[in-house]
Amino acid sequence: MNLQSLDPRVNRLNIPASTMTPMAPKSVLDQFATYEAFIQKKEGAPFTFAGAVHAPNPDVAFLFAKEQYSRRSSCTGIWIVQTAHVKLTPYASDEASIYDSFDIDKPEGVTRPLEPYEVFHQQKRGKAHTHVGRVGATSYEEAYELAKNKFSHLTPVVNVWIIKSKNILQSAEEDKDMWVTTAEKKYREAGAYRVMERIKRFKKEQQRRRSKI
Amino acid sequence: MNAPALKDLLFKLADDQLVLGHRNSEWTGLGPILEEDIAFSSMAQDKIGHSLAFYTLLHEELGEQDPDTLAFTRPATEFHNSQLVELPNGEYDFSLIRHFLYDNAEIIRFESLSQSSYTPVAKVATKLKGEIKYHVLHANTWLTNLGSSTEEAILRLQSSLNELLPYALGMFEQSKYEAELIADGIYSGEEAIKTEWLKRIKNVLAKTDLQLPDPDTTAPVLGGRYGTHTPHLQALIDEMSEVFKCDPGAEW
Repeated sequence: MNLQSLDPRVNRLNIPASTMTPMAPKSVLDQFATYEAFIQKKEGAPFTFAGAVHAPNPDVAFLFAKEQYSRRSSCTGIWIVQTAHVKLTPYASDEASIYDSFDIDKPEGVTRPLEPYEVFHQQKRGKAHTHVGRVGATSYEEAYELAKNKFSHLTPVVNVWIIKSKNILQSAEEDKDMWVTTAEKKYREAGAYRVMERIKRFKKEQQRRRSKI
Repeated sequence: MNAPALKDLLFKLADDQLVLGHRNSEWTGLGPILEEDIAFSSMAQDKIGHSLAFYTLLHEELGEQDPDTLAFTRPATEFHNSQLVELPNGEYDFSLIRHFLYDNAEIIRFESLSQSSYTPVAKVATKLKGEIKYHVLHANTWLTNLGSSTEEAILRLQSSLNELLPYALGMFEQSKYEAELIADGIYSGEEAIKTEWLKRIKNVLAKTDLQLPDPDTTAPVLGGRYGTHTPHLQALIDEMSEVFKCDPGAEW
């Protein structure tokens, strides 16, 4: 009996199953935490949600996000935040504003100093959340109230994310050159391989044959 | 313009990138986690892209054959890469240490070359430096994270470091044109690169529980720059050029 793997390359090696000591069973829930990545496409553009990565810490999440989300398009900066640090509102239906239908009670008697919070809007379900600005508040609830005053004119907004600025790992100014790269990278994109001509020719040939029958 | 010296320099740079790019691409689909698999594969692709940039200079500026012919049809004895980059992959710790030792040297080479008096190479180095900066950040972040984590991680990395240091020192084997390249302001020379490299890798290793074996008493593995290689290189070239050799004249 040979070692069976989901990877055909391993199966082709015909390794006897008996020579391998099976791995100790893993405990459940050994996954890394998830981090959300925001990409700035060009200088001055708002940071926009790109996707998530699993990572053991924010530094490694940055390494991963850089390759997952910025290697195929222009980029001038990345923000990273652990998913658990993203507070979000419920969703409004498209064309509506969540600010009109969702309220939170502001906690009373809060005396902590003001902290910066970053506010992100989603304009439509399925679209990426985009950074709209920053408010100074003493809690997420207060930050939401302030965001409502400051940004509710930006409609539609179906969902709001609020993140404490201190929880966002921002790419450094001196690392900007990491995204300066050769434009000659077409070999990485499907579009660079001119196969459409051949596919069209093949389809025509198929049709010709079918019409003969 | 000193063509033989420039060719020697460009072949050494291009061959290192091509061979390590190919080796690292062997991890594609087998990386430890999905995100790392993608990052490592993407960097491997960058390296092959860098080799293309240098083979193109050799072709367009110095009259060598076209990049595909240079990459796929030379025998191992005509490759100028260091033996470090041709060694077969083992476990991931081995590849991470090789990545750390190699890219920390590569960034210094590129910093030096971006100031080169030979403008075509200075332009290429300036353009590609940013990518290597990320490769170094990737290597150093993993080293500092794993190098002070669990006993198993530290032991594995340490044993790969002990195994690879002699090969890494072999990267700095001097060419017979060393003095001319330095005198002409084309390249700062291997000795200067090595001194700076040792400083930088020691800085990173100081943040971990790893110990750098004494480089002064470690004998470097030399010969790669002059075409002496382990049998692993020819095997790699054969595999890499298998498709090309089916039909060398094919248009892609």
